[in-house]
Amino acid sequence: MTLRNLGLLAAAVVVAAVACGGSTSTATTTGSTIILGAPLGLTGSLTKESTLTQQGYNLWSDWINAKGGIVVNNVKHPVTIKYYDDTSSANQSAVLMQKLITEDKANFLLGPYGSAATATDAAIAEQNQIPMVEANGAAQSIFSQNYKYTFGVLSPANKYLQGVLDMAATLNPKPTTIALLSADDSFSLEVADGINTYAPTKGMTVVLYKKYKNGATNLSAEVQAAKAANADIVLNSGHLLEAIAINKAAKEQKLNAKIFAYSVGPSTPDFITALGADANYVYDGSQWTPQVKYTPAFYLSEADYVAAYKAKYPGLGDPDYHVAESTAACLALERAIENAGSLDPTKVRNALAALDVTVFFGQVKFDSRGLNIYKPMVVEQIQNGVHHTVYPASVADAKPMYPTPSWDQR
Amino acid sequence: MIATLDSNRRWRRAFLIVGGIIAAYALLAPLTSLDAAVSANVPLLADRLWFRIATYIAMFIVMATGWNIIGGITGYAAFGNVAFFGIGAYTTGMLIAKAKWPFLAALPFAPVVAALFAALVGLPLLRLRGHYFAVASLGVGVAVGELVQNIDYGGQPLFGGASGLFLPIDSIANRGLFFFYLMVAAAAISIAVTWWVLRSRFGYGLIAIRENEEAAAVLGVNTTAYKVAAFALAAALTGLAGGIFSQWNVFINQDNAFPIEYNVQMILMALLGGTGTVFGPAAGAILLQLLIQFLGGTLPISFDLPFVSETARPIVAQIILGLLLVGVVIFVPRGVIDFFGGRSRLSLSYLRRSLRETSL
Repeated sequence: MTLRNLGLLAAAVVVAAVACGGSTSTATTTGSTIILGAPLGLTGSLTKESTLTQQGYNLWSDWINAKGGIVVNNVKHPVTIKYYDDTSSANQSAVLMQKLITEDKANFLLGPYGSAATATDAAIAEQNQIPMVEANGAAQSIFSQNYKYTFGVLSPANKYLQGVLDMAATLNPKPTTIALLSADDSFSLEVADGINTYAPTKGMTVVLYKKYKNGATNLSAEVQAAKAANADIVLNSGHLLEAIAINKAAKEQKLNAKIFAYSVGPSTPDFITALGADANYVYDGSQWTPQVKYTPAFYLSEADYVAAYKAKYPGLGDPDYHVAESTAACLALERAIENAGSLDPTKVRNALAALDVTVFFGQVKFDSRGLNIYKPMVVEQIQNGVHHTVYPASVADAKPMYPTPSWDQR
Repeated sequence: MIATLDSNRRWRRAFLIVGGIIAAYALLAPLTSLDAAVSANVPLLADRLWFRIATYIAMFIVMATGWNIIGGITGYAAFGNVAFFGIGAYTTGMLIAKAKWPFLAALPFAPVVAALFAALVGLPLLRLRGHYFAVASLGVGVAVGELVQNIDYGGQPLFGGASGLFLPIDSIANRGLFFFYLMVAAAAISIAVTWWVLRSRFGYGLIAIRENEEAAAVLGVNTTAYKVAAFALAAALTGLAGGIFSQWNVFINQDNAFPIEYNVQMILMALLGGTGTVFGPAAGAILLQLLIQFLGGTLPISFDLPFVSETARPIVAQIILGLLLVGVVIFVPRGVIDFFGGRSRLSLSYLRRSLRETSL
């Protein structure tokens, strides 16, 4: 054989190897079906949020099955998500989780809706050593138990309003004082704690921190205290109705601040409906908005995601962040299974722990507790009656309208 | 007449044999989950799902039997017994999670604290009668849950607040088996206690109170002491179930330690099985919990309901459950235990007689 022929042969081998390598992404054999289990409150008090969660899961399973399934070592495994209705009861959720593992032989678990059910199910996942990826239990206490098999893709509660401070630090003139109001439920208190510890690192001072009873609707005393504190930033860590009450009282009592930001509430259409033009300029922290622009490593872009949602669930408007985070949980699991190259629960668990990937929902990476502390919260502002994403600048579709004009000039 | 007696006796014997076999199976089947049995390939219901459901059934036996002492034997319709379940759960939970006690040392405090609390609220509450007592006890049930969630000490929630209380996952070998037998033991204790009550002077006093409280007082029954004791006894049993539940479930919060629906379920179980009897509440607990799990699709035996889609199933299940209970209350007022004991036979005339009794 001549040297030239040898060279040709080598080239052919390389080409063949590349061809084979290329074909790994389009595996031809179909393997066993991967069964994912998810108990959800399809009836009962958590029906609305649970349905959104299910929509998020289904969007992904439709997509992955259209491709033929999850590729593990060149074998395509179609996916079935097995749902059970836990009637919004955490105790029933635990029974169903056990059924999914024992009877339905679920390979992996997706989280239920709500912190109570998630906490109960996390213990079940731990005892059975089956990984559970969840998207709807924000309480950090779930992740302080040294559980090894539970992973949450959403940003923890203490990050909810930190993005607002990050944004505020970039503004001119820079605001430096904060009046912080908080409801007394665990989620809101975790949000407020996040601000208390974070503000000094941004050169800001919390000059007023006042708690009120969860569900309170008359907050004029708290607003009066905030006015006396004369802070640049007024933050509220609470819920929709409290956010509306504070905004109304702020107008009546002429509380002027450069920034009004509320943890939960302004992102819902109800906030704008209730307050009309007074809702303008208000900021909020959100897990995700349809406007964000990340660079997804796989799956859909944000725009395609919104389009896919509207095609599958017409008439419901843009996907809520509950939907997006639920889809993101599936994506994290999918990528971890691929990385593990195995359906072995422990190997996939280790792959989840090592995961670092960016999808349309943002970066998904877990700390040692299983919490995704790496994805930033985004900051939204209502501008002329429309939600706009204003921070981080890399994903924003508008600039913050700053400072907020005083009430007599709006 | 002789023939009926004979047939009743035969019926009773058949029931005892079948019941004994089922009970033995239910109690022994879990043992096949031990490593030795698993390697020998013994096929049974002995998996973790069965443990969970069976443990729930035992838990409801305790609660329904406990309720029977105040609601069935004494005739005071307590609608807030879930408070004692939650107090038991939180007592054990706090001792384990905060004081780092071992589980078996913490467990005895669950019934004690629940009973003390019941005695405390029982003194004013048991002065009320009928609907007034029912509503007031329901109020206590809700209020205790709210208090546990909202009490702060030094700015921190004392009982874990809205985040709930996490207990360490204990490293007990054959965990499911352990909690199953522990809960079964609690169920056996509650039935034994009921058996003793119904044969004691104390129990006769309680029945006298149920039938006519003024007459009982005239006859020398210290009605207040008797009622409070019955309430505390019911609370102790329910609290024991709660104490076991907390370590079994390893996470407790207001939602799962004070579930409002348990208030109703334990009463329905006692009604279904037969109030005032020893085994009635237990029979009701087994039947109703099996039915709930069956309609919810968690039992190994399951079939599709005709004309019902998968999504509508839970709702239809609730409707079936509701109709069935209405039927039982109207047609079987003494509970299904009436048939098992060989005292009555399910027949058209029985149903007609019952209808006459209940529609008074």
